[in-house]
Amino acid sequence: MNRRVVITGLGVISSIGIGWKEFWENLQQGKSGITPISSVDTSNHFTHLGGEIKNFKPEEFIEKGRASFLSRATQLAFAATKLAVADAKLNISKNNNICVCLGTTNGPTQAIEHINDLIALHNEKEINSQSICKIPTNSAPAFLSTELRLCNSNFIISTACAAGNYAIGYGYDQIVLGKSDIAIVGGSDPFIRFAFTGFNQFSAVAPEKCQPFDKNRKGMQVAEGAGILVLESLENALKRNAPIYAEILGYGLSCDAFHMTTSTVEGIAACMRKALKEADITIDKVDYISAHGTGTPTNDKNECAAIKAVFGPRYKSIPVSSIKSMLGHTMGAASAIETITCALVVKNDIIPPTINFETPDPECDIDCVPNQARRHAVNIALNNSYAFGGNNACLVMKKW
Amino acid sequence: MAVDRDVVITGIGILSPIGIGKDSYWEGLAQGRTGFKKISLFDTSGFNVHIAGEIDFDPVQFLGKKGLRDLDRSIKLVNSAAKLALDDSRLEITEANSPRMGVAIGTTFGSLHSISQFDRTGLIEGPRSVNPSHFPNTVINSPASQISIRFNIKGFNTTISTGFCASLDAVSYAADFIKLNRADAVLAGGIEELCEETFLGFHTLGCLSGAYGSEPISCPFDARRNGIILSEGAAVLVMEEKAHAAQRGATILAQIAGYANSFDPFADRRFNPEGAGLKSAICTALKEASLVPRDIDYICSCANSTKELDKMETQVIKDVFGEYAYQAPVSSIKSMIGESYSASGALSLAAAVGVIKNGFIPPTVNYKEKDPECGLDYVPNKSREKRVNKVLVTSADPYGQNTAVVIGRHE
Repeated sequence: MNRRVVITGLGVISSIGIGWKEFWENLQQGKSGITPISSVDTSNHFTHLGGEIKNFKPEEFIEKGRASFLSRATQLAFAATKLAVADAKLNISKNNNICVCLGTTNGPTQAIEHINDLIALHNEKEINSQSICKIPTNSAPAFLSTELRLCNSNFIISTACAAGNYAIGYGYDQIVLGKSDIAIVGGSDPFIRFAFTGFNQFSAVAPEKCQPFDKNRKGMQVAEGAGILVLESLENALKRNAPIYAEILGYGLSCDAFHMTTSTVEGIAACMRKALKEADITIDKVDYISAHGTGTPTNDKNECAAIKAVFGPRYKSIPVSSIKSMLGHTMGAASAIETITCALVVKNDIIPPTINFETPDPECDIDCVPNQARRHAVNIALNNSYAFGGNNACLVMKKW
Repeated sequence: MAVDRDVVITGIGILSPIGIGKDSYWEGLAQGRTGFKKISLFDTSGFNVHIAGEIDFDPVQFLGKKGLRDLDRSIKLVNSAAKLALDDSRLEITEANSPRMGVAIGTTFGSLHSISQFDRTGLIEGPRSVNPSHFPNTVINSPASQISIRFNIKGFNTTISTGFCASLDAVSYAADFIKLNRADAVLAGGIEELCEETFLGFHTLGCLSGAYGSEPISCPFDARRNGIILSEGAAVLVMEEKAHAAQRGATILAQIAGYANSFDPFADRRFNPEGAGLKSAICTALKEASLVPRDIDYICSCANSTKELDKMETQVIKDVFGEYAYQAPVSSIKSMIGESYSASGALSLAAAVGVIKNGFIPPTVNYKEKDPECGLDYVPNKSREKRVNKVLVTSADPYGQNTAVVIGRHE
């Protein structure tokens, strides 16, 4: 019954690269994907930068006529899926016990924003059904299974900024339980106008750069993206001679049960402990932590305190980096893109940096791999993610 | 990982258009009560339809006065349901057991109104005019997360947004978590509030009965059916590992026997008339429960008074159940409570528990004209006394998701 689960395919659509190779190269270079926002009028906002994907052309992945029927969340997810399936060298028709699970913060919200534009700005009375059909959140995973002709379960989990990890966890469970042999999982979110507004009103957005763990950090940056992984039972992967990036050993979820927007040290620590317990890994075995690391004052402080609480005296010797310093916060896609990053870290023994790091913060005295990527042997990696509502998810990966 | 852990239902909390609390809800179903009335939550003058399954409720009655100010309607409804469910199961959440308790809620449009209003304020009055304390309501997981915050549930908290299937999917997710030994009890269910945005969506797509001017009616399987009556609802079930429930002396209402999700790639925004996905979900759930079709005493159908879905489900039942399809009672409670979208599966499951506990089959009300393509025993208009041991509950979404859950009497 204890089926092992491995990662056999990666697909990324991000502001620093389309496809994992370009993405991974730029992560190692410490390249920033933050640019002036063009999809939203920011003239009345406090900040003007974000992580939009400027060179994404949906028609490279989806026939032109059909792309317009899809929300951007679906377009991004589907493009990343195509890349991941090709990367896994997966022949769908030969392997059809494949489930799909996506994570998202708000789903296809650009359709809602579009309808608001029509009603509020243009006083339209009639809304066409094409816009309405994009709104149901389940339209995104449904399009994936429809296009790939998949009949196994099809899910979407909406646990805000940790949703990608929840979705990966669901796929992992389906394989462990023997309900699926393969899972196409990950997360996707477009640049969300009202989220940009909300985070700005919370004074949670950094005006110039995202500086996780820096003493002068000013906040997160709103971004978009999609990260999709192909998970597979070890047996199935070996049988078809698939490329294996890493093994997933388990994951842990917890809920702070405290506040919608403020995390707790205990909640985050509980999540890491559960993940380690399920993966049967002791704290001395962990070689790298991909931080949630949004760059807001509270998040980074609490995350560091939780790492300290879990790892004790060892905490300073574990490299902990936040790729949100480069990408910004891609919402429901973030933890999926970070899981992809962890898979590449354990595969290549290279850790991407936390860029924009200038001034150490005594409250964040972890080793955040400042500004330069580092060659470092990584056998076990942890991927932390937290979300509005106090929803925490932590995934454990091992070198294959 | 232990997977031989059995999952039972030990509590139910319901807010529905025909009753609040499980006893009132079950009584309403047995009496064939309908819950439709003129919409008061928003102005319907721009629409052809003016009625819906709106719920009269006062959240203060369930939750007290504190901390309600910034919460949206979905959050208040589902928290009230959670409170009723916890009281019903007499499950006490403590610091010690909290890490082994979870929340799994199905909702797709639960935050749609909050999202749309927040965005619209920013658009019309400028981004600096939005109320930041409404921003947390815009994440789809806010109803579920607020349950954890209010009742101190720390094990896990997950929101599933698979449209019409969302709350049965939440139930199956919860059952997986209990089986995998990650939790001892989970509050699982669904929530959808009635709001202008959801109403506009279903109205624009022509899904609402009466959208083209006729008198709205919810009459599943009837030849006259022409669309849904939209409604709101919140249903939360306490799902619990059997030994855990027995140990604390809980009343076990029913047992989860099997469940499955299947996708139908030939749906694509309209139901596949063949119903391959729903068929597969039902067959897999039966297999998982080690049951054959004849073991099912009642089918709590997802038919919602639309041409396509009611016909498809009928066809699927005929295909799966063979000759027995004509003997098995099949009814749609949506004739009484309307279509509550992502909450509908949990409301059906709560009904199914009542069927087993109270020994009745709820009717399909408003049934008058037989549709030759829908020829099963739909329990027309009057409920029926019957001892029921096993119930099949279904849900299906036009985008392709399908879910089936089988529950049984706890002996």
